Amino acid sequence: MKKLSLPPVVGRLLACLAGGVVLAMMVGTQQGSQQDYGLSFREAVLDVRIVWFLLLGLLVFVVITYKDLVTPYLQRPGVRPLVAGVLVLIASFFLLTWYDPLSDGKFGAFADAVTGTPQIAPLARAFFGWLWLVGLIGVPVLIAVAIVLRVRVLAWVAAVVAVVVGVLAVVADSTAGDFAGGIDHSFGSVVALLGFLVLAFAAGVVARSTKEVATPTEFLERVMAYRPGLPLVVVGLVLGLLSLTGATWLAPTGDNLTLVDTSALFEGSDLDGLSAAVLGWLAYVLLVVVLAAAGAAVWLRSKPLGLAAAGLAVVSVLLVLITLHGISSTAAEAGYGSGDGPWQNLGTGGWVLCIGLFLIGAGAVVAALQDVLPATAAVSSDAAPVTGSGRLHAAARSTTGRSLALFAVGLALFYPPTANQFWQQSLTTTIGVYVLLAVGLNVVIGWAGLLDLGFIAFYAIGSYTTAYLTGSLPVQPPSWLLLSPLWAIPVAILICLIAGVLLGAPTLRLRGDYLAIVTLGFGEIIRIVAVNNPGEFTNGPRGVATPVPHPVIDLGFIRIEWGNSSLQYWYLLLILLAIVLIFFYRLEGSRLGRSWAAVREDEVAAQATGVNTTRVKLLAFAIGASTSGLAGVFFGSQVGYFNPQNFVLNNSILIVAYVVFGGMGSLVGAIAGAAALTWLPEFLRDQVPAEDRTMWIGAVLLVMMIFRPQGLIPARRRKAELTGLAGHDGSVRPGIQAVPASEGT
Amino acid sequence: MSQHAAGNDGPAQREPLGGTLLDVVDLQVRYGAITAIKGISFHVREREIVALLGANGAGKTTTQKTVSGMLRPSVGSITFAGQRIDGIPPHELIDLGVCHVPEGRHVFPRMTVEENLEMGAFRFRSPDRDLLAHVLDLFPRLKERFSQQAGTLSGGEQQMLAIGRALMGKPRLLLLDEPSMGLAPLIVEQIFQIVRGINQDGMSVLLVEQNARQALTLADRGYVLETGELVLSGTGRELLSDDRIRAAYLGEELAS
Repeated sequence: MKKLSLPPVVGRLLACLAGGVVLAMMVGTQQGSQQDYGLSFREAVLDVRIVWFLLLGLLVFVVITYKDLVTPYLQRPGVRPLVAGVLVLIASFFLLTWYDPLSDGKFGAFADAVTGTPQIAPLARAFFGWLWLVGLIGVPVLIAVAIVLRVRVLAWVAAVVAVVVGVLAVVADSTAGDFAGGIDHSFGSVVALLGFLVLAFAAGVVARSTKEVATPTEFLERVMAYRPGLPLVVVGLVLGLLSLTGATWLAPTGDNLTLVDTSALFEGSDLDGLSAAVLGWLAYVLLVVVLAAAGAAVWLRSKPLGLAAAGLAVVSVLLVLITLHGISSTAAEAGYGSGDGPWQNLGTGGWVLCIGLFLIGAGAVVAALQDVLPATAAVSSDAAPVTGSGRLHAAARSTTGRSLALFAVGLALFYPPTANQFWQQSLTTTIGVYVLLAVGLNVVIGWAGLLDLGFIAFYAIGSYTTAYLTGSLPVQPPSWLLLSPLWAIPVAILICLIAGVLLGAPTLRLRGDYLAIVTLGFGEIIRIVAVNNPGEFTNGPRGVATPVPHPVIDLGFIRIEWGNSSLQYWYLLLILLAIVLIFFYRLEGSRLGRSWAAVREDEVAAQATGVNTTRVKLLAFAIGASTSGLAGVFFGSQVGYFNPQNFVLNNSILIVAYVVFGGMGSLVGAIAGAAALTWLPEFLRDQVPAEDRTMWIGAVLLVMMIFRPQGLIPARRRKAELTGLAGHDGSVRPGIQAVPASEGT
Repeated sequence: MSQHAAGNDGPAQREPLGGTLLDVVDLQVRYGAITAIKGISFHVREREIVALLGANGAGKTTTQKTVSGMLRPSVGSITFAGQRIDGIPPHELIDLGVCHVPEGRHVFPRMTVEENLEMGAFRFRSPDRDLLAHVLDLFPRLKERFSQQAGTLSGGEQQMLAIGRALMGKPRLLLLDEPSMGLAPLIVEQIFQIVRGINQDGMSVLLVEQNARQALTLADRGYVLETGELVLSGTGRELLSDDRIRAAYLGEELAS
């Protein structure tokens, strides 16, 4: 009997197509029952989408079969941004909502509604009818052809088309949205614009490169190094113009007043002169003056001009803030809108102007702080050898880093007031607190290399300490120890420090998995103790007895009282975070930071070079724990009420995930990781069915760990460990893998 | 290969040996119920290379770990430059001038060669730049690999880096634990040349080795350990010609 054998190509083809069918079944409605197992199968196979999935299988087959042919093209400049842009576009067209008031506000439903309404402007209908397909399929195809055939003209055309379609997306969406009315928070069109801009960037890379193999970041660095600070100034200018023309400055229910409207509204009111001036003409003048100073500083690469521009920007921001305070309190006094005090009913305009001015000033600061470069280096072509552009590379990296950091600061300062209640709440209670926790755990895991799975315990200790000291637990502290939450901070930090040492001391001999298990146990012990309510101290699973009071600063002449507004807490948190970050930033480069690095790399060697490994590891535990305790104080006094459920094991594991996701050992990475992963679940609430939410987060984690195991913003060392050896000049030499010395023997 | 200080000239051409630097008396070390070192005494004089020889499990590394402070003796005393050092932890011992190059080339794999050498000078506020230049002269290979990650170096280069790093701590006594382990004969030769060079600059060396022939050629004196006890001692030359040594460690057939 002859064994049936297929040529391998046919087998592969069948496997790929079968994979497509399986995917199609997974996407379809899952309605199989005990009587009818075939329902799901028929749903999948008898639907049009089976064609798409079979095509996908075919594509995978083609890629696998002709891998050797395809690979050289995949390394050409522009391929990565092309893929990224396409992915963003797919997300925006198929996952995100475009129009909230529609029950299924996704693109498809909205597009059907728009194209079926003849009253809407033809351009918008054209976009929703067929133009989007041109953008989604046509532009990537154009770029792909340009990459393969190296036709520069085609790339330029693709870039222009991408930008046009992207802008059209936003215009068409807002036209249709205005026509339909209703409150719309969706931003599918903005993401689509972003995707098209990435595609345009890809096309630009294709058009401007001469090299065979892409160095993905190099083009970006050349752009950033052209005039340090320029990108920030441009973004700031765009935001400034937006705020002065289109954005709302005062938005009580039903009214959306732009700057001009607001100015007209306060005509003849008892608004103070300064605010009136800002509304009337000063705002424009401020933007122009700051822009001129910053532009000159950036263009002439002048340090004094840059610092002057930054100073001007700060003054302008203060003036805008005074104005915002003025108009909101005047409006409240006059009974206009629903506000009963300052800072209410404000639109986004003023805050956007603040961000814009701040960013322009930040651009000037970047220009002032730039490393001095030979004038020729900044314009060197991409044909220059990598070694020659090493300095340029380093300089571009530092200005890029500074620009991004300042951008983040600007957003952190002025974005939250424009966010709605829900996001303000999430920012403080979830995102902010977990950022603080991740930064603390980064010391233990990322710097000292000790895997701690019970980190949440210190958070619990901090919270309960605050509750005790403020008299919110059944057991009252002695009267001399009754403190306000802010004064509880040092005490809680001290107690967590001690707790960290108590956990650290007996476990120091343990390494890796064993340490992880012990810390895990410690975390659970603390939680269970809180549940068990020993000596009626913790009040058991019911949580604190009376709400923890809000913090108050009373200096006699000035009294700041935190209330229920999340926004106030956000700024308190920013201050705490800034202090912690400055402290940790200094710590990383210090002797102690180097000892941690040494212990993490090789404990025996660290001991041999004179590092007191015991003390150093204890300090890592203690400093991490006290950061966690600080977060606990903040959390306790902000929410007022908490119970042991807030301190479950799951949260400990999540914090570890944040640190790993962001990039172990990297401060910025820990912040980015925690922010991204705490933001994502909140964001997905509106985007995917509730029961699928965690699955999407898991998918993001999986994809991330497969394609970028070093994390979002990796520390220098870890990056080198995972991507092979980075040379002194930053050029990557493939094929050389770092192997820990201890494993080499 | 000898563009550096190390030459082939014998121990006779250097300064005479000084007084006793390290004095170990009646040392016993226990791992729980097992006595690994059963009362040994030996000493190292200034500017002397002393080799501790023995088979696997003889207690060589245990002895050296005890001297370097990583283990505590249960009985006996260790005196360094007139000061009792048994029980002093390693990070304090380094301040006294005892640097340990642990077995198995423990370098910091994700740090560059430069950072590794700087870590060697961790006990100082800042590394001594002249000394760094001197170490790089001793090990030209490290100069070539200066900004490369230590984990990517070859075994021999890592061993050189480990020794260089210890030198950055300006020791008076260098404890070398099996520097030849797992290395090609040619590299071992180079490393031993360098050790001789360092010694001629005035440093004392306590060398633990399995490679008896190389070690005894290099060393002024040697001790032979067997299951935690000293069985033989003498000058390098004496031990090299000792019948028992030749049979047990050099793999030579005895004439009789």
